[in-house]
Amino acid sequence: MDNLNAELEQVNAPKSISVEQWQRLSPIAMLYFFVSFLGVLASNVFVFVPAVIFGHKHITENPWLWTPILLVIIALVLLSVFLNFYFFKYRLANDHIEIRSGVFSKKHINLPFTRIQNVKLEQPIYYRPFGYTCLQLDTAGSAKQEAKVVALNIEFAEALKKEILASHATQHSPEKTADTDLPTQSLNNEIVLNTRSVKDLVIHGLTNNRVWIFLGGLAPFFDDIGRVVVKFFDDIGIDIEQLLTIADKSWWQISLWAITITFMILLPITLFSVAGSIISFYNYTLSKVEDRYIRRSGLLTKHEVTMKLPRLQMVIRQQDWLDMLLKRINLTFEQNNTIGHQAQPGAHNNKIIVPSISPDECQSLINDVFPTNKMEGLKYTPISKRFLLRNIGYILLPIYLVILGFMLYIEKTSALSWITPIFIFLSVLMCFRWYRWGYTSDDTYIYVRKGIFGIDYFCFPIYKVQQTQFKQSVFLKKRQLCTIKFILASGAINIPYIKEIAGYTLINQTLREVEEKPRSWM
Amino acid sequence: MDGHAEFSNSYIQTNELPQVEELTFEPLSPKYRKTNAILNTVIFIVLATLLAFFKVQTFFDIADKPNNVITIILSMLTVFTLFSLVFQFFADACKSYSLREQDISFSSGLIFKKTVTQPILRIQHVELKQGPIDRKVNLAKIQVFSAGGAMHTFEIPGLTLSNAEAIRQFILEHKDVKDHG
Repeated sequence: MDNLNAELEQVNAPKSISVEQWQRLSPIAMLYFFVSFLGVLASNVFVFVPAVIFGHKHITENPWLWTPILLVIIALVLLSVFLNFYFFKYRLANDHIEIRSGVFSKKHINLPFTRIQNVKLEQPIYYRPFGYTCLQLDTAGSAKQEAKVVALNIEFAEALKKEILASHATQHSPEKTADTDLPTQSLNNEIVLNTRSVKDLVIHGLTNNRVWIFLGGLAPFFDDIGRVVVKFFDDIGIDIEQLLTIADKSWWQISLWAITITFMILLPITLFSVAGSIISFYNYTLSKVEDRYIRRSGLLTKHEVTMKLPRLQMVIRQQDWLDMLLKRINLTFEQNNTIGHQAQPGAHNNKIIVPSISPDECQSLINDVFPTNKMEGLKYTPISKRFLLRNIGYILLPIYLVILGFMLYIEKTSALSWITPIFIFLSVLMCFRWYRWGYTSDDTYIYVRKGIFGIDYFCFPIYKVQQTQFKQSVFLKKRQLCTIKFILASGAINIPYIKEIAGYTLINQTLREVEEKPRSWM
Repeated sequence: MDGHAEFSNSYIQTNELPQVEELTFEPLSPKYRKTNAILNTVIFIVLATLLAFFKVQTFFDIADKPNNVITIILSMLTVFTLFSLVFQFFADACKSYSLREQDISFSSGLIFKKTVTQPILRIQHVELKQGPIDRKVNLAKIQVFSAGGAMHTFEIPGLTLSNAEAIRQFILEHKDVKDHG
């Protein structure tokens, strides 16, 4: 506890934070290691299930043998948790953070503050009563270099975070001296740009399938859930197996059942999706301190994602068909994507998502990050109709004909009744896709519109492009069409089947913009 | 750029800008094409010999059916190799690169042509790679990494070692890379 006070004093002291001695974490970290051990166990539960089932009888019949074994296992687990905690040490010195961890395979990370791209505070639910948090540090380099300090006092973590981000600011603008009271200053300047109420999150859950957040967590228990569901229907007198044998029922019964079953499947999925949405976005706030955008949300684990405006690569404005009915929009700010691929699902790692906002809110947020953008005002050039010819004429139709021919050959004419609708449905989807796909550009930005039922808009500043690609098959060349692709640090954007001249112009403009003024893309 | 301290924004005719469509491409080393052809042939000969050996050997009995399967595989392998030899011979000829002051382009594709352009300013690091066969024939491959991710690594194969080194040096000495990297 003394260490902690010392740390806190240092936070308040008007000099930069430094803990030069190797520090152990607060013992509360053991809780973290224990929970992550349980997580590993849960994801491998299938391995143990057969052993437990087959050995069940033997275990209960020989308690004198198995009780000690169980105790030893528990002791080993606790020991490993303790060792994990014991060997986790960190220190802060000269604007570097060093972390040593690992029991058998040792790991030593040394990160200069200036190389840290992103600082995230993650507060699992079991840390909340104690006021602790995890500090996750991302670098632009490989994922291996990522560091996580798993238990820090929340005030210390906040102060450290500000220190790290401040060291960035000073590095990028050398004329500004290291302003040590910057942290406290920033704290007061925080402007809340957007908050989401539970109602918004319910809408978000309905319109966007967030069910996977739930399914991911429930995966180990699928078997049990199935058993419970069947038992439930048994208890209220419905035999599912009998329900599903359709041979002896008339068509209206079958279709009624189909509708009912679809509904019964959709209802829990929707409910789970709403729950998933609330779990990841509860208490959502998007705020801004100088050029930093901060997203905070989460019901169980509080996530915090920070993005400096120069790191922003692309803005995505997404509207699915349900969103369009309800006039809601999902806005995503994408930063560097090359880091942290293996992040937790619910965390949406580096992106800042603003879920289900109204068009006005969306426009004002986009204008806040890209002030001169004209995403809504510009006319989008559609892609060529040849896109349809290629996808329907040269891909879908031949596949359809081959399957059809095969079915006729083996004399299954009934297959026509489902192959043809599928073919027509896919063709209609393709037409929508073609109809939606368009692009436009102005002096600063390139905009792409795409979607099938919904509409998504992508907008990125031209100078952030990393690489361009110009693609043209011999057939496209004849028609003077081409496909172009822009590679950004957050991912690639494809614009297919546009006029050759337009493609060359866009690429030439982009290369000029990138090469003429050496502006930093991050 | 320091020379452009004064702001200017005069109108520029699009066709006065440097044009990607007018790049003059340099071919890869002719050895690249040859090496690929030889390598393919050698692999084919090794595989074919193995298969043929199994077919004619009398050390242990193989039933008729697998024996026929070997014949089929062998003929398919021959057709495939011939096809890929011809295809690669022409496809390799299409591979070319172009260096400008500010960017580097690589063009490839016989039917589906693709030109990738990498502005030097966005390059994070450069790698020069030489496999054992490359070393034998004095070829090298240059790889250029940007923040676009591993999926979009810019690569030029089949350069003579001296060319590859020259390109690497050119990138490293580029003023902007020096300043920012």
